[in-house]
Amino acid sequence: MGVIVKKVELSWLDRTYVWPVMKGMAITFEHFIKQLFTATSKRYTIQYPEMKKEMPEGYRGLHELKRFEDGAIKCVACFMCQEACPARCISIEAEEFSDLNITQGFEEKRPAIFKIDMLRCIYCGMCEEACPKDAIWLRKDYEVAAYDRLSMQFGKWDLMNTYAKADGKDRISQDPTPTVPRRTIVM
Amino acid sequence: MDKFASLLHLTPAILWMVIKVVIVFAGVMSLAAIFTWVERRGSAMIQDRIGPNRAALFGKIRIIGLAQILADGIKMFFKEDLIPTDANRKLFWLAPFLAFVPALMGFAIIPFGKSFVSGGVSYHLSVLDPGNGMGMLYPLAIGGMAVYGVLVAAWSSNNKWSILGGMRASAAMVSYEIGMSLAVVSIFMTTGGYDPSEIIGTQGHLPWNWNIVHQPLGFIVFFTCLFAETNRLPFDFAEGESEIVAGFNTEFGSMKYSLMALAEYSHMMTASALIATLYFGGWQVPFVKDPTVMLSVACFLVKLVFFAWVFVWIRWTVPRFRYDQLMHLGWKVMLPMSMGNLVFHAWRMSQGH
Amino acid sequence: MFITFALITLLGALAMLLQKNVIVAGLCMVATFFGVAGLFVLLGNPVAAALQVIVYTGAIMVLVLFVIMMLNSHEEEKAEASRPVQRWVSLALVAALALGSVKLVLASSGVKALNLNGAALPRATTLQNVGAALFADHLLGFEVVGLLLLAAMIGAVALTKRNL
Ligand code: SF4
Ligand code: SF4
Repeated sequence: MGVIVKKVELSWLDRTYVWPVMKGMAITFEHFIKQLFTATSKRYTIQYPEMKKEMPEGYRGLHELKRFEDGAIKCVACFMCQEACPARCISIEAEEFSDLNITQGFEEKRPAIFKIDMLRCIYCGMCEEACPKDAIWLRKDYEVAAYDRLSMQFGKWDLMNTYAKADGKDRISQDPTPTVPRRTIVM
Repeated sequence: MDKFASLLHLTPAILWMVIKVVIVFAGVMSLAAIFTWVERRGSAMIQDRIGPNRAALFGKIRIIGLAQILADGIKMFFKEDLIPTDANRKLFWLAPFLAFVPALMGFAIIPFGKSFVSGGVSYHLSVLDPGNGMGMLYPLAIGGMAVYGVLVAAWSSNNKWSILGGMRASAAMVSYEIGMSLAVVSIFMTTGGYDPSEIIGTQGHLPWNWNIVHQPLGFIVFFTCLFAETNRLPFDFAEGESEIVAGFNTEFGSMKYSLMALAEYSHMMTASALIATLYFGGWQVPFVKDPTVMLSVACFLVKLVFFAWVFVWIRWTVPRFRYDQLMHLGWKVMLPMSMGNLVFHAWRMSQGH
Repeated sequence: MFITFALITLLGALAMLLQKNVIVAGLCMVATFFGVAGLFVLLGNPVAAALQVIVYTGAIMVLVLFVIMMLNSHEEEKAEASRPVQRWVSLALVAALALGSVKLVLASSGVKALNLNGAALPRATTLQNVGAALFADHLLGFEVVGLLLLAAMIGAVALTKRNL
């Protein structure tokens, strides 16, 4: 496929090459001066450890397991997210618990162990999509790093606390309702 | 000075020589080192970036990143010194020095301040005193020697990219040398002498008497050719990194590489000193008839740093030429232009100007 | 000083002859040129020294090395069959030449004058002197050489560029 390139007619001044170079130098100098006298906070560069990029809405960063007002976990251990996860990095173990006040007498499920291997997670957000209870969210924190592999295995309490500071909530490390031992069903 | 000299069992002349050598070479080298940082910072600013600003002394004192030079030096020292198996070992060792020494030596002729008289003896602020008979031929000769650094580095590393870079650079340097020399010759003509102090003396302290005003064409030619000579960006064929990896210094690492880089920057310093001397009145301070020695040195330094900065500035303004364009420019534009300049000034002089 | 430069020159020349590697030989030749330039300076002729460096080391040797680099790679050439007779003949010839030149120098009037008057430091030749000598005293020779060089240049261009 031929492309017709339009030839630019240069004026004699441009053909001396000196004048265009000087014009170019003026442009670069302008940039230099502008950059020199802009305050660091206004420059394009984000100086990372001191300044952080404000992530846009819908950014998929570190997960959070949501909780109710009283600190009870929203997740009902339905395993939907584990099934949906393309990276197979979520592993859940469910447990039963009951508390008449909250659950109107029903026996309910919640995760005893909820583990996400952050090294395998691809931050695709499928778990968020799959969750029927809106219990798992991917939020804006993008600084997920550690010194060893083991600390990249986020457990239930880690995940519930990931955004505690940002939201001004307390860190929790205990379920408000005590675990009820597995009931043996008498037939 | 005399007392100090007798303390060291030296004659004042020799002591003065030693002092000068130390000042000049230490000065040029530290300026070159600083310019490695200035170049990176400056190019960052031109491209709306920030550049190296993080290196800090003791992890605290940042001084706008100047510690980067130190950090780089330390890093270079402690890096492993690799020599490729197929390289010619001796020449590979020799090459950085061949690049570095001429780059420094060229500065020796340049008067970096006003001569002064003390105790009946006049002291000249240049390593080679005026009247040595070499004059401005000396930097031209030394500049010609700079090719060998590139050439030897390229050939000894036994790498195709390197050889390509070396060959391109050597051809470019040789062809631009002619235009440059002719531009310098027309200055010799109008000055009536070829000693740098004479050239500076005839230019005087008034900016409109400087050679830049009298010979703008010669200046353009000289300036352009210096870019080819120093292998700086619009003409950096020795290491066009987008085409031939890193050209002649592809195989060089650690301290050898750093010597190469320093050589480039020292070359830049020498080149800008040459520009200042030939076209901008050297150490002459504008509008000051009889400057003090310190003032003249300061003025020279300002000019030097400014032109070195122009090298950086041009680097980010003009993109690299193609090789045939370079040759075309060198032989068909620069050479006739400097010839024309020469003939024009010869004609003017014959008219009695 | 003299000894240093003379040694550089001689060793450079010797090394150039003995080197099997063409590029290294070329670099040795550069060293030789440098030594010669140094000798020029000692003779009170810095202009010749500068020109020596500019023209020979700065341009001619670079072009020579350039061509060598372009044509051959890193192979070192194998020595051909040794020819002892030629070697000895050439050695004898060189010795005879060297002896002859030494005798010539010793017998020259300059050395005699030096013996009579003692060494007087010559005034350094300047570019002005060279120019005056070229354009006043030896104008004809200069013009002839210029013409010759022009002819050579045109010849070279005509040879390499058949279809002008
Ligand atoms: S974001 Fe994707 S990969 Fe990560 S846990 Fe959720 S579903 Fe799995
Ligand atoms: S996070 Fe949501 S999808 Fe996953 S187990 Fe809990 S409730 Fe089910």
